[in-house]
Amino acid sequence: MVAPRLHHPTGVLNPIVTSLERYMDLLSTRQKLVASNIANADTPGYKTRDLDFQFEYMSLLEGGAPRPVEVLGLTSKNDGNNVSLDREARLLAENALRFGVASQLLRGEIRAVRSAIQEGRNG
Amino acid sequence: MSLFSVLSVSASGMSAQRTRAEALVENLANAETTRTPDGGPYRRKDVVFITEPTGSPFSAVFQVEMNAGVTGVGVAEVLEDTREPEKRYLPGHPDADAEGYVGFPRVHPAEEMVDLMGASRGYHANVAAMTAIKDMIHRSLDLLR
Repeated sequence: MVAPRLHHPTGVLNPIVTSLERYMDLLSTRQKLVASNIANADTPGYKTRDLDFQFEYMSLLEGGAPRPVEVLGLTSKNDGNNVSLDREARLLAENALRFGVASQLLRGEIRAVRSAIQEGRNG
Repeated sequence: MSLFSVLSVSASGMSAQRTRAEALVENLANAETTRTPDGGPYRRKDVVFITEPTGSPFSAVFQVEMNAGVTGVGVAEVLEDTREPEKRYLPGHPDADAEGYVGFPRVHPAEEMVDLMGASRGYHANVAAMTAIKDMIHRSLDLLR
């Protein structure tokens, strides 16, 4: 059992930063799995792996590491491999966009704190 | 496992696909080769892939034990065609046997070309994954600015 990580003090930053951090963590874990699936697109017997995103996001808030699962419902080729490059390409783009949005939001939060510090110094 | 180490997963995919492309190009180049150092005609080669942990031995084993599910790809083996060579009747050929037949490799250029397209597509997919991950790393670094 991993200790809950949500309740640590966020200091000067808005608590939303903690959620964004988890979100980006999870997105990068998912992107790793996508990269791994793409690299193994021609490996005989390889099964597509992914995260149950909703579930993992909720459980990450309670602490614990994400656990990749095999994806069901994909058609296998003759060599037992079930990687669909179209699916992976979509996820690759989607994750990158989501990550971009999250990092933009996080930048906004950091900028707000930074400008508060700057203004305080100037005033 | 940081985002940086994912780059090595994509790199392993690129290297595996390149090995496959090399074997295919070799097959195409030797489609009509009737003489090899081992004797007999050229035998077509096939590359077989296998999942392979990337990174340093310790962290790789650790990742596998943790069932992190992030694996690269490597070349398991290069298989040589074991089928009998294709016999063509060419009595004047220097490599012809007593009955005038010459053994040619069982290489079909169309098959090799289609497979080569697959290898090239796989390589591109890995490059795209690498670009996406590089973009994510850049965005994370931008937070520090």
